[in-house]
Amino acid sequence: MPRAVKGVLVECDPSIKALIISLDSKNHNIVLADLDDEHLVIEERMVEYVKRELDSQLAENTFKPAELDDIRRK
Amino acid sequence: MKGDGISRVFGRADFSYLMLKPDHASRPLWINPLDGRIILESYSPLAEQAQDFLVTIAEPVSRPSHIHEYKLTPYSLYAAVSVGLETNDIISVLNRLSKVAVPQNIIDFINSCTVSYGKVKLVLKHNRYFVESPHADTLQMLLKDSEIGPLRIEGDDYNGTSTTIVEGLVREKAPSMGELTIPGTSKGNNSAATAESGQAGGDPHQQSVEDLFTSVVGLDREDDDDMDAVHSFEIAPESVETVKKRCQEIDYPVLEEYDFRNDARNPNLDIDLKPSTQIRPYQEKSLSKMFGNGRARSGIIVLPCGAGKTLVGITAACTIKKSVIVLCTSSVSVMQWRQQFLQWCTIQPENIAVFTSENKEKFRNESGLVVSTYSMVANTRNRSHESQKMMDFLTSREWGFVILDEVHVVPAAMFRRVVTTIAAHAKLGLTATLVREDDKIDDLNFLIGPKLYEANWMDLANKGHIANVQCAEVWCPMTTEFYNEYLHETPRKRRLLYIMNPKKFQACQFLINYHEKRGDKIIVFSDNVYALQAYAQKLKKFFIYGGTPQGERMNILQNFQLNPEVNTIFLSKVGDTSIDLPEATCLIQISSHYGSRRQEAQRLGRILRAKRRNDEGFNAFFYSLVSKDTQEMYYSTKRQAFLVDQGYAFKVITHLQGMENLPDLAYATVAERRELLQSVLLQNEEAAGIENGDDADNFVGRDGGYVKSVKKAKRTMGSLSSLAGGDDMAYVEYNKSKNKEKTRNPLIKKLYYSKKK
Repeated sequence: MPRAVKGVLVECDPSIKALIISLDSKNHNIVLADLDDEHLVIEERMVEYVKRELDSQLAENTFKPAELDDIRRK
Repeated sequence: MKGDGISRVFGRADFSYLMLKPDHASRPLWINPLDGRIILESYSPLAEQAQDFLVTIAEPVSRPSHIHEYKLTPYSLYAAVSVGLETNDIISVLNRLSKVAVPQNIIDFINSCTVSYGKVKLVLKHNRYFVESPHADTLQMLLKDSEIGPLRIEGDDYNGTSTTIVEGLVREKAPSMGELTIPGTSKGNNSAATAESGQAGGDPHQQSVEDLFTSVVGLDREDDDDMDAVHSFEIAPESVETVKKRCQEIDYPVLEEYDFRNDARNPNLDIDLKPSTQIRPYQEKSLSKMFGNGRARSGIIVLPCGAGKTLVGITAACTIKKSVIVLCTSSVSVMQWRQQFLQWCTIQPENIAVFTSENKEKFRNESGLVVSTYSMVANTRNRSHESQKMMDFLTSREWGFVILDEVHVVPAAMFRRVVTTIAAHAKLGLTATLVREDDKIDDLNFLIGPKLYEANWMDLANKGHIANVQCAEVWCPMTTEFYNEYLHETPRKRRLLYIMNPKKFQACQFLINYHEKRGDKIIVFSDNVYALQAYAQKLKKFFIYGGTPQGERMNILQNFQLNPEVNTIFLSKVGDTSIDLPEATCLIQISSHYGSRRQEAQRLGRILRAKRRNDEGFNAFFYSLVSKDTQEMYYSTKRQAFLVDQGYAFKVITHLQGMENLPDLAYATVAERRELLQSVLLQNEEAAGIENGDDADNFVGRDGGYVKSVKKAKRTMGSLSSLAGGDDMAYVEYNKSKNKEKTRNPLIKKLYYSKKK
């Protein structure tokens, strides 16, 4: 009898997919299926976690103008 | 004053308590009471005069097209006072222009900064030093001070100018421009200023503001004969340092001025601008701030790259007409300054002496020009005999004028040394950016002087003095394999990975192709040598880096300039200073150092000089290639911050149309990319580093301190395989051990090999 697991389809850039896979590599509890370069199926419960982690990791790459104010303000 | 629904969000920044004046719509600015920032609407009809005024009293923070931001700081007010503005004038003009009444704490701030600044001047004239002030009581107060009082000397015989002695202080007429004309300008400032105010005309409100402006900011004030008097007392030359320091301690910092017209001790240098030399309006304005009252003020002038800073220095030297010494950052700049002096003014070659590690000449006459580098002069290490003789020559005489080029690069410690070793009466610092990553600007203010003038880049571009530049950031997505490795690597190796992104190669190739078809000359910058070579070799273009021998460099540069087949060259950091760069019309940046704002601005300066800038609709292009979703995005934005503040808008290009269809596209196949990835991963961490500029002996480092001299022997860490040349190769063994294929007796397997579980 086939088993069905409910998941969430994620459509993203290859780089984000790589990020999610690296998140997954710790506990293997996020990714259910790796469809192709731009699509993944992940566990429904982990969606919020993935969002938060992605936000924080990508935030590192963004230069906030507020920092510039601090630099200018010295 | 009632708060509304969103007041909470603003917190302390809720300024709704400030009452708007009834005609606030026609007033262009408002001042933020919290931090002294002035926000100016630059589309207002009064904007131009307001900008002139604001640049004089405040630091420009950000000047894009519609809204400008300025900040009132103690230094900017100091600078304002030193060019002659008074506290009350500043406050009243601000009130005229502001939509709301100037907040009380700002008034207090202006008062506290200006009350003691600029009141005391240290003037050198007739070979004597005088402490001067328009206010007799200030001087009396200084004389009562225990350290300064005793240093005053009683002099007699003040050379017959209209002086009187009042209560022990010498009283005479205030200094004014008088007949001093700055060479190259149109008959002094009188005609220029009246022409400007005549043009504006317009509505009466504007006219009255105009009048107010020219009376406050204008420098051709008609001095009533008996009105402005100054008082002074004399001090001995040896006491100058003590007096300066003491005055600073009691919060009355002295402004230094050099009365060069009345200096008979230093021999004159007979130089003038050639008649063919034309000074542009902004150059004239900056010089008028320096020579505003007929004396030479020391300070810093900020002009964008390619706007003609050298000419400003030369004109100032021709105005002062005393011995000049010019200090630059590298020996190439030394040669450039020398050549420009010969080109624009009437100085004779035998009156110019060059002092670098390769040449040590002197000039024969009494007065002349010396061009040297900071490292040569500030060097504390042992000198060769020749150098020592040269240094003695420099320290043994008095210099009328010292020009300090690229002031933002030199660390404060070096400056202090220069300033104490070279005895110069007037100092002029020239730079394109007062921004320093280490923020030691304050030291410069007291070592050289206040900022005299800062130009508006956009304004200059609009008037055709520098090229119009279209800036764009091109986002190159990382390929999956590269990104996977990127996530797992150390920061240094990460750098190499995001620079060597195959998609970046493709973008670079596409852009080069596109611009070459347009007939542009393209320079591609990379400060990482490994990447530079990889890109240049893959795209089959010439490249120059530190290790390129001089002859080859000259050859490549000449071809770039003259040969229509060679339209693109790749440059490393050597291009920043060590090379006399030809003009290019397109600049592509594939990698650059961690967020140095100044560096990006300087590179832009290369194309700002472009000769074709005055052609109708001509645009120069500046592309910065960044790999998406990597640290590079962060650094890139930080670097661009400076340019954005100057008014350049960065477009973002996320996709280059037609890139996939480019014939011979680099790294188009997965196999090629994997190969590239392999070779990148095999590089050791050193490859990710930045190249030191060459010309290390003369070159002043960006990070402060000295660049270590180039050693003959190099020490590197590496593996034997790299020594053997195996860096770009990886081993894969195809025939696995035969042992594994053997079938074993089941009993033996159980006894000896069962441990494998």
